[in-house]
Amino acid sequence: MDYFRPRSVEEAVTLGQSPGAAFLGGGTDLVLQMRQGKVSPQCLIDVHNLAELKEIRRNGDVLELGSMVTFSELSDSNLLQDSARALWLACQTMGSPAIRNQATIGGNLGNGSPAADAIPALLALDAEVCLRSQVGEEVVSLAVFLERYPLLAPGTLIWKFLVPLRGWQSGFAKLGRRRALAIARLSVAVALKTEGETVMDLRVAFGAVGKRAFLSPALAARFSGRELDVHWRTEMISGSQELVRETLKTRASAPYKAVAVGGVMHQALMLLQE
Amino acid sequence: MNIELRVNEQDFRLVVEPDERLLDVLRERLGLIGTKEGCGEGECGACTILMDGKAVNSCLVLAAQAVGHELMTIEGVGDRLHPHPLQKSFVELGAVQCGFCTPGMILSAKALLDRNLQPSEEEIKEAMSGNLCRCTGYDKIVKAVQRAAEEVAR
Amino acid sequence: MSEAVVGTRIEREDGWGKVMGETHFPADVNRPGELYGAVLRSPHAHAHIRSVNVRAAAALPGVAGVFTAENVPHNAHGVLFRDQQVLVSERVRMVGDPIAAVVAETEKVARDAIARIEVDYQILPGLFDPEEAMKPDAPALHPDSHGSSNILYHLPIRRGDVQAGWAKADVVVEQEYRTQMLDHAFLQPEAVVAYVDERGHLVVKVATQYAHYDRGEIAHALGLKYSQVRVKTMAVGGAFGGREDISLQIIAGLMAWKTGKPVKMENTRTESFLSHSKRHPMRLYYKTGATREGKLVALEAKIIGDAGAYSSWSPNVLRKAAVHATGPYEIPNVQIDSYAVLTNNPYTGAMRAFGAAQPVLAYESQMDLLAEALGLSPLEMRLRNIFQVGSVTATGQMLTSSVGMTKCLQALTPYLATKGDAS
Repeated sequence: MDYFRPRSVEEAVTLGQSPGAAFLGGGTDLVLQMRQGKVSPQCLIDVHNLAELKEIRRNGDVLELGSMVTFSELSDSNLLQDSARALWLACQTMGSPAIRNQATIGGNLGNGSPAADAIPALLALDAEVCLRSQVGEEVVSLAVFLERYPLLAPGTLIWKFLVPLRGWQSGFAKLGRRRALAIARLSVAVALKTEGETVMDLRVAFGAVGKRAFLSPALAARFSGRELDVHWRTEMISGSQELVRETLKTRASAPYKAVAVGGVMHQALMLLQE
Repeated sequence: MNIELRVNEQDFRLVVEPDERLLDVLRERLGLIGTKEGCGEGECGACTILMDGKAVNSCLVLAAQAVGHELMTIEGVGDRLHPHPLQKSFVELGAVQCGFCTPGMILSAKALLDRNLQPSEEEIKEAMSGNLCRCTGYDKIVKAVQRAAEEVAR
Repeated sequence: MSEAVVGTRIEREDGWGKVMGETHFPADVNRPGELYGAVLRSPHAHAHIRSVNVRAAAALPGVAGVFTAENVPHNAHGVLFRDQQVLVSERVRMVGDPIAAVVAETEKVARDAIARIEVDYQILPGLFDPEEAMKPDAPALHPDSHGSSNILYHLPIRRGDVQAGWAKADVVVEQEYRTQMLDHAFLQPEAVVAYVDERGHLVVKVATQYAHYDRGEIAHALGLKYSQVRVKTMAVGGAFGGREDISLQIIAGLMAWKTGKPVKMENTRTESFLSHSKRHPMRLYYKTGATREGKLVALEAKIIGDAGAYSSWSPNVLRKAAVHATGPYEIPNVQIDSYAVLTNNPYTGAMRAFGAAQPVLAYESQMDLLAEALGLSPLEMRLRNIFQVGSVTATGQMLTSSVGMTKCLQALTPYLATKGDAS
């Protein structure tokens, strides 16, 4: 096995052309999968320390998050706390402190877990993902990107995320079997804008319901343009339960998740910042 | 591959496999057996070490990834003549039972105290939430961290 | 030890080594020139082994030896009955049963070699429900060690006359309770280092709860004299009962003895879960009667403990469950039947409280249900029946001293009056 520590994204992408190459972020998933024999890359390209990939910055009305920013760094970011609360909340509860110190947001997407904590929040916040490969740069909406199979073409590096800052309120909640180190059994992220008391531009995303996190355009359409009151909240909760029941159909987890999602949705709505 | 690691303020030149875990290099090549393997998948925290002052699970980090970082294992925290206040308080308050979780617990606590000298009970529990104790000594562990925080602050 | 230590804080003498990271657990021990061992375990709960082909494993460069049942001089161990094989010869009785072991130059080679061993299993239907396994027509899991029945142990306890008891009862509560299987999940997975010392004695360094027993089991299995085996207990990283049975001691000892080289073995967490004992799941059928005044008059209890594939401590655990079946309450008329039943589930053995924990769910729930039916507070229901000096237990023991339950409940009364609000 070869191991490279490129000095730039350019170099990383070039090295990414090697046969059997895998980009290595924090390693919290990949190192374990290699040990378990689930993946056996011939070549590791360690990008976790690349300064270009470690930036959190505001660029006009867009928040730019480098793919190698760790969950701890995101948790400690005031900018994130103020402007992308759903994501900030998701980063607080992912894994344990030690995992958050090492795991990266790019790795969270690249690993492709249905329960990835950051993904529903990024979906709700309408994030775009920027990819780099030998072909060049590609910017694609995360929602569209998540429809690709396989997720990443060989040699493609997750470069950064662009999160539009539109003055949205957002919230996130997850259900795990314990408080720390719990892989999400269910997660919900909600983002919305209000005009007066009216909900505009609602976006609702679910994690750990099916193979990948997804947005629900149906819920968004049904609950946008209405007054944000107790009825709205109650119907959002029952609406999410219907959606999960329909999505999971006869899956073994359906009876449980179709009920439990109501509580998770309730919590996500309670955490919407004022 | 050749790597250089800085562990407990000492530099080591090593030849390792690219897929060798930091945990194994610390234990087997450097003889730093205070770092333990309890689960091998980041669930138990027995392998916790500090990397640039932050707690990480050394079972989920490749040795090659640790190059350029400052590492600290339990052996670098203190010694019998100069114990760290955490080491002292863990012994004095009975926060040590079987001792297998202890090095990881102390390192997670040290990462906390190094940036917060007045942690609340909640903050202590949060900082230690990735470290399991199966002898069920959490209460004493939290008290030991509180006592050490007071001593460090003094 | 002076009585003055009670209520004071004593520094444990092993504390300093542990906070410094100096303490040696078995995985921290290394010997020059050591080999590494690994075990192939059954993925099936119940199977007949038609054949084991180790040729490909033995041919792998770096492999120093491959061992199967035929290499074990006396292939049996067990704390009460030697009904467990060191390496299974013919019949797999649970997932995780050891089939073969490899010793090699590195852990990686040992594990690669394990993956090359071919086992031809004839999969048999499994017995997973202890009540099914109790039936007379259920296939016997241990015809050689335990005869034609899977009922490993039955303890009947009789006191007074339950029929007369029921006649006096104004309220009868009948319920079934079930507890689950639990793993100790001690934090340090099993590890062992075995070697032959300069005197030609086999030394086994291990974290164990039972060094003298391990020594006898190793000596027996390898056909050695006691004096040829030395077991050295390293720091024990949690045990809680889960280190009372043999884990890797005999296999490592066998491989060290046959190769003449030091042999180290370490379980992964998964192997640890697959190989050591568990807490008994129990089914508890309880029928309890009380008078209008809230005095217990009769108890009928049937307790069925799932022993899993091997006996381990099951008879003792189910004995303890039976002895504790009334709880700390005086009941004049008692009929208790406690059973340990062999199944194809993971074997169960010692774990904290050793059978006394499970019946609590049943007898305390019964007390709450009776209190409710009688319109008494749960506290009052207990105070009217709790053991006192002079009480006679279901097993006929007269309690003569140190019976502090009333005092304990009285101390709790103010707290309970606030419905658990300590402030």
